[in-house]
Amino acid sequence: MKIRSTILVLFTVLVAVLLSSFSMVSAQTDTIKIGLGFDLSGAESSLDLPASNGAMLAIKEINAAGGVLGKQIEGVSHDTRYDMALTAQVAHQFVEQDNVSAVVGFTDSDSVLAAGPIIQAAKIPFITAGATSPLLPSQVGDMFFMACFGDNVQASASAEYAYKNFGHTAYLLLDQGVEYTTLLAGYFKTRFEQLGGTIVLEDTYADDATDFSTQITKLRALSTQPDFYFVSAMPYNVGPAVLQMRQAGIDGPIIGGDGYDTPDIVSVAGDSANNVYFTTHALMDPDNGTDPIKKFFAAYSAEYGHAPENAFAALGYDSMNLLADAIKRAGSTDATAIQQALLQTSDFPGVTGSITFANGSHIPQKAVTIIKIVDQKFTLAQELVPEIVAPANPESTETPTAEATASS
Amino acid sequence: MAGRAQRNGTLIVLGALLIFLISLSLSGSNFWQSIVINLGMYIILVVSLNLSNGFTGVFSLGHIGFMALGAYISAILSLPLSQKALYLPHLPAWLAATHLDMMIGSFPLGFLLATLIAGLVVTGVALVVGLVLMRLSGTFVSLATLGFLVIVRIVLINANDFTRGSRTFSNVTQYTDLWWVYAWLLVAIYMVWRIKFSPYGRSMFAQREDTVAAQSVGIVIMRPRLFAFAVSAFFTAVVGALWAHYLTSFSPNAFYFDLAFSIITMMVVGGMGSITGSIIGPILITIISESMRRVEDLTQLYGITQIVLAVLFILVIIFRPGGLFGDREINFAAIWGRLRSGRGAGEPKPQNVE
Amino acid sequence: MSLPLYALQQLINALSIGSLYALMAVGLAMVFGILRLINFAHGDMMMVAAYIAAFALIAGIPLPIALLMMVLGTILITLVMERVAYRPIRTAPQVAALLTSFAVGQILENSALLVSRFARKPEQIAFPSIDLLRGTLKIQLAADVLQIPKVNVVSLVLGIVLLILLSLFVTRTTLGLSMRAAAEDLQAAQLMGIDTNRVIVTAFVIGAILASVAGLLYAVQSGTINPIMGFSPVLKAFIAAVIGGFGSISGAVVGGFTLGLLEVVLTAVPGLGDILPAATTSPGVISFFKTYLPSSLTSYRDAFVFVILILLLLVRPGGILGTTDRDSAR
Repeated sequence: MKIRSTILVLFTVLVAVLLSSFSMVSAQTDTIKIGLGFDLSGAESSLDLPASNGAMLAIKEINAAGGVLGKQIEGVSHDTRYDMALTAQVAHQFVEQDNVSAVVGFTDSDSVLAAGPIIQAAKIPFITAGATSPLLPSQVGDMFFMACFGDNVQASASAEYAYKNFGHTAYLLLDQGVEYTTLLAGYFKTRFEQLGGTIVLEDTYADDATDFSTQITKLRALSTQPDFYFVSAMPYNVGPAVLQMRQAGIDGPIIGGDGYDTPDIVSVAGDSANNVYFTTHALMDPDNGTDPIKKFFAAYSAEYGHAPENAFAALGYDSMNLLADAIKRAGSTDATAIQQALLQTSDFPGVTGSITFANGSHIPQKAVTIIKIVDQKFTLAQELVPEIVAPANPESTETPTAEATASS
Repeated sequence: MAGRAQRNGTLIVLGALLIFLISLSLSGSNFWQSIVINLGMYIILVVSLNLSNGFTGVFSLGHIGFMALGAYISAILSLPLSQKALYLPHLPAWLAATHLDMMIGSFPLGFLLATLIAGLVVTGVALVVGLVLMRLSGTFVSLATLGFLVIVRIVLINANDFTRGSRTFSNVTQYTDLWWVYAWLLVAIYMVWRIKFSPYGRSMFAQREDTVAAQSVGIVIMRPRLFAFAVSAFFTAVVGALWAHYLTSFSPNAFYFDLAFSIITMMVVGGMGSITGSIIGPILITIISESMRRVEDLTQLYGITQIVLAVLFILVIIFRPGGLFGDREINFAAIWGRLRSGRGAGEPKPQNVE
Repeated sequence: MSLPLYALQQLINALSIGSLYALMAVGLAMVFGILRLINFAHGDMMMVAAYIAAFALIAGIPLPIALLMMVLGTILITLVMERVAYRPIRTAPQVAALLTSFAVGQILENSALLVSRFARKPEQIAFPSIDLLRGTLKIQLAADVLQIPKVNVVSLVLGIVLLILLSLFVTRTTLGLSMRAAAEDLQAAQLMGIDTNRVIVTAFVIGAILASVAGLLYAVQSGTINPIMGFSPVLKAFIAAVIGGFGSISGAVVGGFTLGLLEVVLTAVPGLGDILPAATTSPGVISFFKTYLPSSLTSYRDAFVFVILILLLLVRPGGILGTTDRDSAR
C-alpha cells in the first residue's frame, strides 16, 4: 500500500537523521564539553530558561577571554521538557555520547533526582544552578554540588529576621502544588515556631491561581491582623498576590523567599510592592549593585534583549563560572580533580554572592541577603547568617543544633 | 497449516526480539537501553490504553492516574526500612514495617511482589471507578476520567504522610531493567491478544460499533467494558511500578496531562483497536521525537518537536482516522510463509527498529 | 469582621470569579452546542489574544486599537484553525475532535514559545498595566469595607453586557436563530436550507471574541503571560459548562457562577475556626471547625470540585439546568 511504503521511507529517513546527528556532536575534540541540562520548553521553563541563558552567557564570555586551560568550552545543551524519563535519557546522553566533563543544570529537585544518580554513577561533577532542596547532596552523591544555599537556610533567615523586626504572629500562605514553596513554608514554620512565634492562620492556593480574593477575605476577617505575612510563592504568582493583598488594605510587612527575586514583582505590583521583603542570594540591582552585577545585567540584556528575568539567570551564570574556575584550579578536566577543586572553593566571587564550600559540604556557605522593596526598587535590608537552621529533613525528629554555618 | 505457520511466525518474531535485547544489553550502552526501556513502557501503556479505549470505544483520558497510583504504591511497599524511616516517618505501623525488598539469590522477589500488589490494588480502584464512570458515554466519560486524573494528582499532593506531597519521592531502589520491562510487555501483549480474539473480545468490538445493536443481540454492555477497563488499569499500574523503580524518583507532576496525551498520540497514530498498532505507534513517535530533539538542539528552536507531533496527529486524524493499522494485526503466518518460500501474503513488519 | 459581612464579601468574590468563568464557559458552550466539539484549544485562544494584546501595548499602540487588534487577530487564527483542523473532521466521532483540539492547542502553545524567542522576550512576559483596570472599589458598610478589585467589576459588567448582546443576537437575528436551529439538530437545519458552514463559523467567531475578552481579563489579573497560561482556565471552563448544562449558553453562565461559588465556599469555610470572633461565637462551633474543617483542607479544593462534577454527571447529566443533549451522557 502506498501509505505503508511512505511510512517505511519516512522511517528510514528519520533513522538516518538520528544516526547521522551523532557525528555532529563529538566533532571537535579540542574543547571542554560541559553538559547543559534544562527544561527549555516545559512547565519549569520560566526558571530554567534564564538559568540556561546565564550559563551560556558565561560560556561565551569565558571563550572570548581565551577559554579554560587554553581550550574553548563547548556547551552541549539538551532540552528535557520537564519530562523525567527524558531527563534521565539526557543524562545518559551527556555521559555516553556527548562525553562531557561536567554537567550544569536544572532549578528543581525532580529533574536533579532524575539525572543525578546517572551522572553520579559516571563519576562526573554535577552542579545545579537553582535546585534548593538541602536534601539533594545526600540523595545524589559526592559529585553533586549546589550553587546556592538550601531552602532551610533562607527560610530560617527570614523567620529570624521577621521575628526580630516584625513581631511574633504571622500569616502563612503557600503554593501547594510545587515542592519549593511547600518546603520553604515548612522550614519557615518550623524555625518561627521554635523561636516562639505563632501562625495565626495558614492557607493555600493552587499553583495556577491568579485571584487571591478568597484567601485575602479570610485574612481580613481575622479579628486582629498578625504582625506580618509570609507568602511562599513562585515568581509567576508573587506579583498578583502582593498586589491584591495591598489593594485589599493589608499593609503589614510581606516576606518570602527567592521566588520574589524577579523584576515581575515590581512590574506587576507596582507601588503596591512596598514594605515587601524577601530572602535571596545577592542584591542584584543594575543601578546600586556592584560592578560585576552591573556588567552582568548589561551583558545579559545585550545578549538576550531583556533584563535577567529572575535570580536564576544569575545562578546559571555563577554555576558555569564556578565550574570553569574549578577546572582552572584543578589544572585538568579529570573528574576527581574538579571535584576536589570544587570542595576547596573559597570566596569565589559570584554575581549572586561569594561562594565557599566549607568542611566538605556540597552546599555553599552563603550569607542570606534580605531585600526590601522601597519605591519599586530593591534595596539591601540586611545580610545575615541564620543562628539556627531548620533541619533539612522536615521529618527528622532531631532538634536543630546551633550551627554557625549554612551547611546541611 | 495456518496454526503451525502462525506459531512459527510468532516464534521467529520473538526470537528476533530476544536477539535484539541480548545484543542491546551486551552493548553496554545505557543511553540506548534507556530509549528501549522507555519505549517498552510506552508500548505497554498504549496497549493497555487501547484495550480500554480502542476496543470498547470508550475513551478514558485519565489512565495515567492509575500509573501514578501504581508507582506510589509499589514504591512505598518496596522502600527499604532505613529509607522508610528517613523519608516516610509517619506511615501507619503496618505499612512502615513492610519492606518488599527481599531477594532470592539475585532475583528481586520483593519488587515482583510490590508490583503485583500495586497492580491488584489499582485494579480494585479501577473497578470502583469503572462502575461509577462506565454508565456515562461519549465525551462525558472522557471528561469524567479527566476528572479522575486531576483528583488522583490532588490526593497524591495532599497525602503527605504517604507520598511526601508535592516533594519528590526519591531513593527508590532501581530494580527495573530491560528484561523486566520486556517480560511484562510480552505478558501484557499476550493477554490483550487473547482477549481481543476471544468471544469476550468480539463482544467488546461489537459494542464499540453500535451499542444498541449489540444490546439487541443480548450483549451486556457493562461487563466487557468493566473487564477491559480493569485489565488495562492493572497493566498501567504495573508500568507505574516499573517506571518508579527505573527513574528511582518522581513526584505527582510527572503523571499528568503531558504524559496522558503523549500516550494518546501514540495510540491514535498506531491505530485504535490494533495491538500491532500499539507497538508501532510508540516506536514511530519515539523515533520522530528523538530525531527532532537533535534538530532542536542544533537549531535552538525548542518546541518544534511538539508542533511536528501535533501536526502529525492532526494529519492522521483527518486522513487516516483509524491510525496506521486500524483494526488489523500483523500476520504471523505470512512472516513464516515469506521466510520459507520467499513469497507470501501480507507484509512482514520489523518488530523493533533502532 | 462580622460573619454576615464575611459571607457577603465572599459572595461578591464568588460572583467576580464566577463571571470570568462564565465568560470562558460560554465561548466553549457556543461551539459545543452546534458542533458537539469540546474545544480544548479554547484556553490557547485566550493565550493568543493575551499575547497579541501584550505585544501591541508594548509596541506603544494605544489601548483601543490594541484591543481591536487582539479581537481581530484571535478571530483570524480561530478561522484558520476551524478551516484546517476542524472542518475536515466534522463527521468524525466526537472524541477525534476533542483530541484534535488538543493537538491544535499544542501547536498554538509551542508557536507562542517560538515567537517569544524570536522577539527576544522572556518566556514569562509581564503584561502591560492598564490603568483603567487597576485598583479596588471600596464600599463602606457599617464598620467594615467591602472590596472588589476593579478588574473583577469589569469582568462582571463586561460579562453581563456580552451575554445580553449574545442572547439578543441568538433570539432576534436570523443568523442567531439559524444557530439555535443548528444546535438543536444540525442535519435538520441543513435540510431546511441553513448554511451550516456559515453558522459554524459564526459560532467560532463568537467563541473567539469571548475568549479574547476572557484572555485579556485573565492576563490583567495574573500580571504575566506565558504559553501555557490557557491550560487551567480551559479546564475551569469545562467544569463550569458541564455543571451548568453543557451545550446551552445559559447553562454555561449558571455553571460559571456555580463553580465560582463552589471554589469560594471550599476555601472560605475551612478555617472558619480561626477567624470567627471568639467573643460572639460558641466555643463548640469554633472547635468543630478547627477539628473537622481546618484551613489546610483548602488544598483539597480542586479534588472536591471534580468529585462534585462526576456526581453531577451521574445524577443529572444535563447539568443544573437539565439541558437535554441529543447525545446525552447516558
